[in-house]
Amino acid sequence: MERITQAIVLAAGEGQRLKPFTKLMPKVMLPIADKPILQYVIEALAENGIRRIVMVVGYRKEYVQDYFGSGQQFGVEIDYAAQPQQLGVAHALKQARHLADDRFFVIAGDNMIERDTIAPLINASPNAMLIRSRENSPRYKTVIVQDGRVKDIGVDSAKAPGSPIDIGAYAFTKDVFNFIGDDVSMRSVIQKMIKQGLQITAVETSGFWQDAVYPWDILKLNDMILSKTALSLGGTIEEGSRIKGKVSIGDGTVIRSNCYIVGPVVIGEDCEIGPNACIFPSTSIGNNVVISPFSVIGNTSIGNNVSIGPNASVQDSIIAPGTSIGGHFAARSGEADITIEGEHHQVKMGAIMGSYSQIGEGVVVEPGTMVGNNCRIKSMKTLTESIPDGALVV
Amino acid sequence: MCGIIGYVGRRQAQPILFQSLKRLEYRGYDSCGIATSDSVLSLCKDVGRVVEFEKKAPQIRGTVGIGHTRWATHGGVTAANAHPHTDCTGKIAVVHNGVIENFRELRERLTEEGHRFTSDTDTEVIAHLIEKYYEGNVESAVSKALGDISGTYALAILVNGHRTLVAARRESPLIIGVGDDENFIASDVAAVLDYTDRVIYLEDGDIATVSESTITVTNAGKKAKRSEERVPWTIEDAQKAGYEHFMLKEIHEQPRTIEATLRGYVPFIKPLAILGTEGEKQVRDITLVACGTSYHAALIGEHILGKLCHIPTRARFASEFDPQNMALENTWILGITQSGETTDTLRALQRAKAIGCPTIGITNVHGSSITRIAGQILYTQSGPEIGVAATKTFLAQLTALYLLALSLTERDTRTIENLMAEFRMLPAKVQQVLDNEEQIAEHGRMLSKYENAFYIGRGINYPVAMEGALKLKEISYIHAEAYPAGEIKHGPFALLRSNTPVVAMAPQDDTYEPMLTSIKEIEARGPQVIAVAAEDDENIQQFAQVVIRVPRTDPLFSPFVNTVALQLLAYHAAKERGCPIDLPANLAKSVTVP
Repeated sequence: MERITQAIVLAAGEGQRLKPFTKLMPKVMLPIADKPILQYVIEALAENGIRRIVMVVGYRKEYVQDYFGSGQQFGVEIDYAAQPQQLGVAHALKQARHLADDRFFVIAGDNMIERDTIAPLINASPNAMLIRSRENSPRYKTVIVQDGRVKDIGVDSAKAPGSPIDIGAYAFTKDVFNFIGDDVSMRSVIQKMIKQGLQITAVETSGFWQDAVYPWDILKLNDMILSKTALSLGGTIEEGSRIKGKVSIGDGTVIRSNCYIVGPVVIGEDCEIGPNACIFPSTSIGNNVVISPFSVIGNTSIGNNVSIGPNASVQDSIIAPGTSIGGHFAARSGEADITIEGEHHQVKMGAIMGSYSQIGEGVVVEPGTMVGNNCRIKSMKTLTESIPDGALVV
Repeated sequence: MCGIIGYVGRRQAQPILFQSLKRLEYRGYDSCGIATSDSVLSLCKDVGRVVEFEKKAPQIRGTVGIGHTRWATHGGVTAANAHPHTDCTGKIAVVHNGVIENFRELRERLTEEGHRFTSDTDTEVIAHLIEKYYEGNVESAVSKALGDISGTYALAILVNGHRTLVAARRESPLIIGVGDDENFIASDVAAVLDYTDRVIYLEDGDIATVSESTITVTNAGKKAKRSEERVPWTIEDAQKAGYEHFMLKEIHEQPRTIEATLRGYVPFIKPLAILGTEGEKQVRDITLVACGTSYHAALIGEHILGKLCHIPTRARFASEFDPQNMALENTWILGITQSGETTDTLRALQRAKAIGCPTIGITNVHGSSITRIAGQILYTQSGPEIGVAATKTFLAQLTALYLLALSLTERDTRTIENLMAEFRMLPAKVQQVLDNEEQIAEHGRMLSKYENAFYIGRGINYPVAMEGALKLKEISYIHAEAYPAGEIKHGPFALLRSNTPVVAMAPQDDTYEPMLTSIKEIEARGPQVIAVAAEDDENIQQFAQVVIRVPRTDPLFSPFVNTVALQLLAYHAAKERGCPIDLPANLAKSVTVP
């Protein structure tokens, strides 16, 4: 049998629980250490020699297409299939039918993986799926496996304690499309296949796998990935700045005098930092970002085209692209109760700030407070509760 | 105004020629054809697009061949007028881009000498001239033939029995693509990017003989040395990346285009390198010359240079430029052409140069003709643009002009820094307009139902209105006219009906109040007004029924966001009407005929 050379990557989902960030861009494009989640998936495939990719895109697909193009920059060839409505995983896969080889892999585009994560699947022959054992977590659906064969998927972890989880990586033949029919969920497709007597091999992986479900997962992932990032120093570093630990700085960036930067930190291209700014560990800063003098940033993820005024203090926060923040801004970190889609969570977090907002001078954001996209917050406001998209706070 | 391609190597030429012609289609697409040489010379050509022709064309064999995609200038759109053209013996095939000015007298003379013509084109005389002079050496026959010709040309010539191609250029673009055991001749780099990124740019008067392993270039009978260069573009740029049209892909690339053109000049404005030499001459006044969309960029440049630098500046259509009364010896002449090949713009620069004016070119194409004519060159960094309607290259031209103005200004550092801070927010602001595409698309679909539209603007946004109207005309075929808002009551009012929508630019600068007055005057006469206004303008909806929201910017920068909104509006109007957006009727991307 010839080896499989094609992967269908599912990148159409929205990511409801990651608002306000996913209001503008799909979940797969959220940056972790300055790279979209989907890029880690593409790189893992390419490192396993899988260079022909069909990307199923849907929600805010332009963000994916603008970034990845035809894939050349990433060493792969990408064709796109559109899923106009996000109905389910099987439905997404069905959209790629006209581009699929006889045998192919299917990979979720919205989980962080590495080369080793999917390596065991690369040598498996269809039909097969990856499983991964993991401490019990109600967040994930599990797979029932017997004698190395899949018996069922999508089972609540409470009903099958200790069962491995499904990480959204499969090897199929084109026959799978005949089983999809009008089904939208992968569970019913797999159940039908098993019923018809098809065998689905369960392939175990122990490689890196992380899912981002809630905003604070972004900070956790950012921290994990930053500590693995290779060091590279571009741009200009002016006299008197001190750079310690693993720090990456992009081309065209200027670090002005007397900055103090402690890695792991990644700073993108064309940024201007300082003078006299401090950047503390586990911070990632996108392209074309301005961090003004005397500002202190730590354990924070900052998107492209953000500007932060002087004397700002930002901890454990996420600031989405295009937001501009005045001086003396404070985003404190602390224990906070956050409600997302009706679920309550207690986490330690700073501010969660959407895109394109204009924040005045001297604004204070209490721990765990969300500020939506396109908000305008006048100077000297203290924000203690969530601000919806487009709001004006006077 | 056509695209030419040549291949010599070890592979079958036909599929390569077709692939390259598809990449060249933006240069013309009313007819196309190819010729290959094996034991015999085979030819096929027809009216229509390359994709259609490829499906029905017979398979012809040969590992050396030439191809052409046409935008008719001499002779109608017929299969007989499609290139390649051959001589009487059918052994010499020629593809040509340019205009042979003395073809009538040559044709008469050749007819008298017994040559039989089968087409109405100017090109065919070249094939017969080469036949006349051919005595076994193709290159010397070509050289003699070219001696009889006056006009412009880029040529690729295939003669049966030779495993070489001959190429020649005068005032029309031509490059050689350098491969491994294969070489290419092409009108531009995009045509060969599928196969190689190494190219040689030919110069005026060059005649090149190209085999699979050797390339020799002569100029005026002497051997000339032309160096090989690596192209900074990749084929990536020539693919649609999941978009339905190149135009939409290119509209979406604009935030990155601005970033790339700005790169190196932020955080603090560095004087542009071009000012180092030309700048030593006192800048007394500037004349910008350009055509089409580039002319609209020039008009905005006129505002911005006037406003920021207090240098008297005017924009002129390149075809209307007369150095005798528009330029003094010290007038800077700044030519803007995306392709670097627009004949009218090149000629304007040459004429200005002849009377001693310092010349600057703004172009997107390395190695293009303007880079050899203008004294200094400023490159825009937008990568190749394939859609015939210019979008990202327009924003890149604006970026370059604003950088020029910021380099020349004598305003205080604080003002410049504030403007730069605003400048670097533009990629995010343009992205915000793109994020709002769904809403703009709805208005575009509404606009698609009309046959006439007006676009009005004031001040720096009048050229934006012109650009918006041009986009709508080009791709949706809706008749659109742009007017300065204040002028519309002096005549065009007579045309306003309930079925002529008016697109009004309403940025919050000193033109805002008078624009509201104009909108009121228009609405009273029935038309629907579509206003383009700032996101936080709560006043505007009392005046206009439809409002397209754009992010608020410093008034000087409003053309960037407003233009993108109008591009999307035109795109979606055209899409709703089912128009061939990337290849509109009768248009070609770079106009290399005067």
